Amino acid sequence: MFFLYPMYEGFVLTVYDDDALLPIRESPTLSGATVAKLPLGTELEINDRRSQEMVNAGSDDLITDQWFQVEGTGVDGSLLRGWVTEARIRVREEDASGQPLAGTVRPRLGEGADPLTKIHAEPNETSSVVGQLEQRATVTITQSAELEVWFLVQPADDMNSGAAAGWAPSSYLRVSEDASRGWVSGATSGEFTTKFIQRMVDDRFFGPALRTTLLLLVLIIPVQLVLALAMALVIHARIRLNSGFLYVFALPIGMSDLAAGILFFSIFTGNGLLNSALDGLGIIDGPFAFLTAETTGWILVAIVAAEVWRATSIMMVIIVAGLQAIPDETLEAAELFGANYFQRVRHIILPLLKPSIQVALILRTILALQVFAVVVALSGGDVVTVLANESFRQYADLRNTNVASAYALFILLLSVASAVFYLRSVRSEAEVRPT
Amino acid sequence: MKQTQDPHPPALAPLDSPEVVQSHKQMRRKAKRGRLLTYIVAVVIAVWILVPVFFVFSMAFTTVETVRGYPKNFLPFIPFSTDTMRFFLESDGVLRGLWNSFVVAAITLILSTLLSIPAGYGIARYIFRGRDLFRLSVLAVRAFPIVVLSIPLAVLFLRAGVFDSLWSLALMHTALALPTSILVVSSVFASVPYELEEAGMVFGATPFQSFRHIVVPLVLPGIAASGLFAFVLSWNEVFAASVLTLDNRTLPALVFTSLSNSPDAYKFAGGFFLMIPSIVFMFFIRRYLFNMWGQVTK
Repeated sequence: MFFLYPMYEGFVLTVYDDDALLPIRESPTLSGATVAKLPLGTELEINDRRSQEMVNAGSDDLITDQWFQVEGTGVDGSLLRGWVTEARIRVREEDASGQPLAGTVRPRLGEGADPLTKIHAEPNETSSVVGQLEQRATVTITQSAELEVWFLVQPADDMNSGAAAGWAPSSYLRVSEDASRGWVSGATSGEFTTKFIQRMVDDRFFGPALRTTLLLLVLIIPVQLVLALAMALVIHARIRLNSGFLYVFALPIGMSDLAAGILFFSIFTGNGLLNSALDGLGIIDGPFAFLTAETTGWILVAIVAAEVWRATSIMMVIIVAGLQAIPDETLEAAELFGANYFQRVRHIILPLLKPSIQVALILRTILALQVFAVVVALSGGDVVTVLANESFRQYADLRNTNVASAYALFILLLSVASAVFYLRSVRSEAEVRPT
Repeated sequence: MKQTQDPHPPALAPLDSPEVVQSHKQMRRKAKRGRLLTYIVAVVIAVWILVPVFFVFSMAFTTVETVRGYPKNFLPFIPFSTDTMRFFLESDGVLRGLWNSFVVAAITLILSTLLSIPAGYGIARYIFRGRDLFRLSVLAVRAFPIVVLSIPLAVLFLRAGVFDSLWSLALMHTALALPTSILVVSSVFASVPYELEEAGMVFGATPFQSFRHIVVPLVLPGIAASGLFAFVLSWNEVFAASVLTLDNRTLPALVFTSLSNSPDAYKFAGGFFLMIPSIVFMFFIRRYLFNMWGQVTK
């Protein structure tokens, strides 16, 4: 469960955009039924506005209205208490902190204007009307509330024409100055998309990262396989001090790739061990800069050296475990028939080791696909880069979780593909020709 | 031609005949030469593994000027000093990073041990439905990319409000260590014959008593090894630690994120701290390495 859920989550992050669509609603409340979903950037015609409860106070595009709770004498002479928009009240009195205390109802100018002002039960225009106030009536202001403006919008561009009109909160819209047109600037609803994968593939580091990762696999793994076999045969020979040699050979298993990166940085850096040694032997005159942007070849050499140093031991252990399963009698029989050491290795040990080698190769390849601290320690992570490093960079530096996830899934895909490749190509004889 | 190369003369030749003595000598010489070759290969590989480690150790225990200097040399030939170490330990956040690393690794050790004992015992002793599937999935998880886990988990932790917490990082490390721990612990349990437990019960011990007094003393070293392994794994882990923490950096995450703008002395002293647990613990773990991986191929 602990592994499957993050995997599912990673997949969702890769192909699902949380903020792609803005639902527009039948009525200007969050509970209103969704009429349509509009993608980011949709051009809009704005037909009406309404004040409503705040949806997203932190947004840049938020437009608010102030409402006052007022008390005063209504048209019918009774005492009224209710909410009215700030636009209808002229504030006459404020306390020291600027909080309004009292005011008068603004008159409406122009022919045929309604002289009365409606008072609402709650601070929004859709709530019930509790009464009406005369113009210029004095009121005391007991409370004020900030409300978000909602707009009645209709898609204006050709692509979405014909879509129904609906209400959307201002925090997800950007509107023109006269509030007649606008476009969708934020979204709350998700959609499936390939744009993160697209962005990963288009990333200028994607190609180099993939190439370097595969190149490193091809360079490192054959060297490691041969070396691990040699180490395993040495351990299996049970020479004196065997336990000591095993300890030394196994040391790198407990080392992180970061530690290996630092070790080989100390060797290959400008004033490092390699230059000191070459200089001391008189091979070069003065230090040679191995790890610079101009010498990516040497950086690769350093990475290969570090990886071979670090991760061969684990292959050795797997192969030794396989060697221990080969009965001594088999080897003695081969010796009896006159096979020399290399013939025995070639014709007896290697074929019997196939399952172990297969496991070692699969494990090694999968782990090699995840290496990144070595690369960063030796190259800074820009000049030479690998897929895992790009995933980290997208996450940590660029704060782009979705693309980082796409990289991670791509690595998983490569891992599975390489495992399948080894399982098919290093098949043991018995499977190919059942007898 | 073939006849002369045959190291086994006809059976009829007497044992003290010159041919037999000759051939025995030849075989012994050949074996000796092979032995010598093995030693040479062993020593070359050992030197190749040890030289970088010892070089960084030398750099970690010398003066900061020597670290900056050129050409470089190994410890007895350069001044011994705790300058580099002190410089590193006094740098911002290092002591806290060390402590964080220790806490996370310790939690990982405890959690993975507590979880792997019942799981390992179950795999070793009982045949239950889905046992093979369980073993297989444990193995599959062992090879699971940390990268694939870390990023969704970071998002998840962020949403759940447990981001940048040592506990959530320890949980992640436990998940990474568990497969191997379970394999080691189960192979250790499997090496203790069930008959011993039965014998205990024959003499009147309850199943738990015979487990406690017979099995536990025998498996304790193996379980300690698997715990140490979990500790080292957590101490070493870079990717998840860098992704899942921000202020509560562990040592590897701290060293990693400051790689590009830290002086060499900082890196080398950091490298020393990164390596020291594995160098100490590998000594105790090495016997169990094959338990860890021997099962994989079966």
